[in-house]
Amino acid sequence: MAREKKIEEYDVVIIGGGAGGLTAGIYAGRARLKTLLIEKALVGGLATYTNEIENYPGFPEGTTGLGLMNLFEKQAKKFGVKFKGTDVKSVDFTGETKIVETFRNIYKAKVVIVASGGRPRITGAEGEETFLFDKGISFCATCDAASNTGKDVLIIGSGDAAIEEGMFLTKFANKVYVSVIHDEGKMDCNEIAKAEALANPKMEFIWNTVVKRFEGEDHLTNVVLDNLKTKEEINIEVPTCFEFIGYLPNTEIFKEKITMTDRGYVVVNENKETNVEGVYAVGDVTDKFLKQVATAVGDGAIAGYAAEKFIAEDETYKSQILGKDGVVFVYDASEEGCRDCLAEVEKLEKDLEEHHCITRVDIYKSRGISDRMDINEVPRLAIVKGGQIVKVLDEDFDPEEVKSTLA
Amino acid sequence: MAEYELDCLGEACPIPLVKAEKKIEELAIGDILIVQIDHSCAMKNLPEWARKEGHNVEIEEVDDGEWEVIIEKTK
Repeated sequence: MAREKKIEEYDVVIIGGGAGGLTAGIYAGRARLKTLLIEKALVGGLATYTNEIENYPGFPEGTTGLGLMNLFEKQAKKFGVKFKGTDVKSVDFTGETKIVETFRNIYKAKVVIVASGGRPRITGAEGEETFLFDKGISFCATCDAASNTGKDVLIIGSGDAAIEEGMFLTKFANKVYVSVIHDEGKMDCNEIAKAEALANPKMEFIWNTVVKRFEGEDHLTNVVLDNLKTKEEINIEVPTCFEFIGYLPNTEIFKEKITMTDRGYVVVNENKETNVEGVYAVGDVTDKFLKQVATAVGDGAIAGYAAEKFIAEDETYKSQILGKDGVVFVYDASEEGCRDCLAEVEKLEKDLEEHHCITRVDIYKSRGISDRMDINEVPRLAIVKGGQIVKVLDEDFDPEEVKSTLA
Repeated sequence: MAEYELDCLGEACPIPLVKAEKKIEELAIGDILIVQIDHSCAMKNLPEWARKEGHNVEIEEVDDGEWEVIIEKTK
């Protein structure tokens, strides 16, 4: 039985509560926008999977991912951001009002900020589906380290996450096997982590290998690796296998609704705008060079600020531009041609009836208003009548035509 | 549609998930299971597991660091 969905209206809806989404929330909330943040699991996102964050500025002693994200959340709440713990089922970005649907609610928003991040990539090996999460395949060392005290575990991958989490696991496990796809001595992690890992007696590296299959009854018992060079099978008996082989963007629900790369990352410009007006994207879900808490924070700040500007301009557009009959003069104050035209416009202003005013829009400051009017060249004179732009004239406008159109 | 509560306060991973898996088997379709947790690790695997199974999931933060994971059994 489908129950009626509750409809709520917001200025800004943020999808995803990681570092990027939380920062966008802090900016939007502080700008007094009515803001909702929707997070499907633990607020804090991917950063909470990392035990130690040592490169986020302001924490010289380092901090935990969870601890840092708790502070972000607290700050967002301080500025009045509302939180909702559920996943987004679908979105509709076609109208001016954006729609975000969860299983019990429909949220209407002026601006949506996509901050949905990524999820762990899996190997795709035989038997993997059967043992995901609590049945032996884990993506979170912090979560599953303690239950592996005194046992052997296997790690897949050699990037920063794989090696750093592996080092953490050596504090609990008896032995930490690491399956690396590369030749002996070659790893994807940073040199410091690599040197530490190679010197750790509890870590044993198995080079040139990938997972062939996962085996067990109810729970994982052993993982069969495939040596890419010799083609020999290597059987590793472990109750838990940790996979750290990268991430995939969470963008399924945005398919064909916003522009993405071939790999599913959202394409944004430097203002974090997607190809859809009023929809922004930040953090790991975007196609970017460096995915870190520090860069997600920068993205979030830009999008939060951009959202505020967008909403303010939208209000100006509706009240100042379309709200009364008259002439809108779109110009660039830094261009001489425009300044000459401005003199003509001022002459016209004296001639117009009192209730017909002239609004000046200087695109040198911002193109937000002129974009909404669909005016790309300057100078232009737009005639507004009955809440609509009825005519657009260029610098050779005829004052009589303006008057007769308005009459 | 009945509602069941599962108290997992004070319990660390993977216990809340294992308990929830067992409990949801007893429920009928449309029933609601409310799992009370206070270990953040369960906030990662519990909703993820429930959604992978196809159930509807919603989370309420009832107190600072204390959550209710509300699972509606769909199949």
